[in-house]
Amino acid sequence: MSGAAPVPSGPVVAVEKLSVTARGNRKLLDGIDLDFAPRSLTAIVGPSGCGKTTFVRSLNRMTELTPGLRIDGRVLYLGQNIYGRSVNPVVVRRRMGMVFQRPTVFPMSVFENAAFGLRLVRASEDEVDSAVTEALQRAGLWEEVRANLDGPALALSGGQQQRLCIARALAVRPRVLLLDEPTSALDPAATQRVEATLQRLKEEIVLILVTHNVAQAARVSDRIAFLHSGRLVEVGATGEILERPREPLTMQFITGRV
Amino acid sequence: MSGTALAAPALAASDDLRRDRSGGVWRRTWFDRIVGWALPLTVLVAVIPILDLAYWICVRALPSFTLATLTTNPSGAGGGLYAPLVGTLEILLLATTTAVAFGLIGGLVTAEYLDEAGAGVVRVTANVMAGIPSIIVGLFGFLAFVLAFGWGASLAAAGVTLGVFMTPYVFRATDLAYASIPPHIREAALGSGARPIQYLLRVATPIALPQVLSGVFLAMAIGVGETAPLYLTTSAAAIPPSGLFVPAGALSLYIWEDFQNPLPGAVHIAFEAAFLLLVIVVGLNVLVRLIGQRARRRLEGLFQ
Ligand SMILES: Nc1ncnc2c1ncn2[C@@H]1O[C@H](COP(=O)(O)OP(=O)(O)OP(=O)(O)O)[C@@H](O)[C@H]1O
Ligand SMILES: [Mg+2]
Repeated sequence: MSGAAPVPSGPVVAVEKLSVTARGNRKLLDGIDLDFAPRSLTAIVGPSGCGKTTFVRSLNRMTELTPGLRIDGRVLYLGQNIYGRSVNPVVVRRRMGMVFQRPTVFPMSVFENAAFGLRLVRASEDEVDSAVTEALQRAGLWEEVRANLDGPALALSGGQQQRLCIARALAVRPRVLLLDEPTSALDPAATQRVEATLQRLKEEIVLILVTHNVAQAARVSDRIAFLHSGRLVEVGATGEILERPREPLTMQFITGRV
Repeated sequence: MSGTALAAPALAASDDLRRDRSGGVWRRTWFDRIVGWALPLTVLVAVIPILDLAYWICVRALPSFTLATLTTNPSGAGGGLYAPLVGTLEILLLATTTAVAFGLIGGLVTAEYLDEAGAGVVRVTANVMAGIPSIIVGLFGFLAFVLAFGWGASLAAAGVTLGVFMTPYVFRATDLAYASIPPHIREAALGSGARPIQYLLRVATPIALPQVLSGVFLAMAIGVGETAPLYLTTSAAAIPPSGLFVPAGALSLYIWEDFQNPLPGAVHIAFEAAFLLLVIVVGLNVLVRLIGQRARRRLEGLFQ
């Protein structure tokens, strides 16, 4: 389980009128409103360039690492605006972990990769040990690496590396995990293992999964949010969106015509 | 046995691979052969003079080379090379410290903190600095450290001047090492809640360090043989320096001076000094190779 903290009753993350503007007044995201309830997996889908990556990156203030982007609106984490004046982005990112398109393991041992976030906050050795074990188990990687925790992480396969990245994010026990097309660099078997991991994790925390793959959204998500040209076109239960989308644009997208 | 089974059926022109000329002429031409020979040949042409040089230095240095060469001070056109050896090592230590202090910080700031424009300015400056002839660096050291700072011809002046000469090499290696870290590694570290300084110390530096160290050792290998930066900033003292502000002899200076010395035997000392320098340079280069090999093994798969 995700630590001892009780699951909140309201949304864990609430996005209010979020806009992201690039230089030259180009709107990458335009007035997004979206809530994320505890224990849910929301798939963010939409055509290439519609702003999916920008959206998840703005949820844990990663957008700040790209110069020239202006953010308007609010992102509330348990009711607190993460863009508030006295909020440190580093602290936000520890609560909302991120997994990227390509595996991003560091050139260290498997154990040290998983322990990375804990070392940053100077966790005790015992704490690190138990948290790493738990995180590797939750990421579905434990059985494969338990005999070789001190081996180099770069020697793992792509799929194992990606699950190690999930474990690294989980080790600090975040309430939210942001995943930006985490399986797009993986083969079908590795993809299947990552999806199985996600399905287990959504019973514990909030998962926000960017995917360009409608079939993947259908397999793992409870809810689909469809973005187009920086706007949230439609959001609803996965079955509803796939079978009875309200918007013609959504229909076109899920049938592969956008 | 009927011949028809073996005979190749006639091919339509469009199916005949050997008659299709649309891909250009494909033959192993004399040109391919010459390139095939020329490459190893040029390597040989480059290597032979070096081996020849090393051979002759050894032939002329080794017969008179004894333990006493390493342990006694020079005297006139004879004696050993204890003082210049110690002097070279101390100058090199001081120079490396200087070059690392400026080159490392400069490279780090350029790669990690400056924007495109700022980094561009610093990189061009460093390249210009690397292109300045070493005798001019020596002249600068003379004017700045020997005269303006009043250090006189000394270990300090020579070391810092040589350090100025070596700085662009350390800078370039550091800048390149940090700038070539894949950006997704940085994103992942910061996305895990690392503060920028934590990213720098825990993630970036272990990746960049081998390349930085290689750069430092290469700068040392280049700097240790330099004569020009030392010529105006110290003198060929015959005893090891007793402090920072007394002259320190150096092997390269002894080669220079003893070669011009008409006394018999002086040339031997020049060759012995050359031999010692050769050993140091080769040793530093071997170190660079070893570091590179170990790093490649550890970082394999990171840069794809
Ligand atoms: N820093 C930036 N400055 C200007 N424009 C940007 C910046 N970052 C992204 N964009 C643009 O914003 C739009 C949305 O980009 P984003 O990466 O969020 O799309 P995406 O939905 O993730 O696409 P994909 O499916 O291809 O990953 C794109 O048109 C992109 O070119
Ligand atoms: Mg994207």
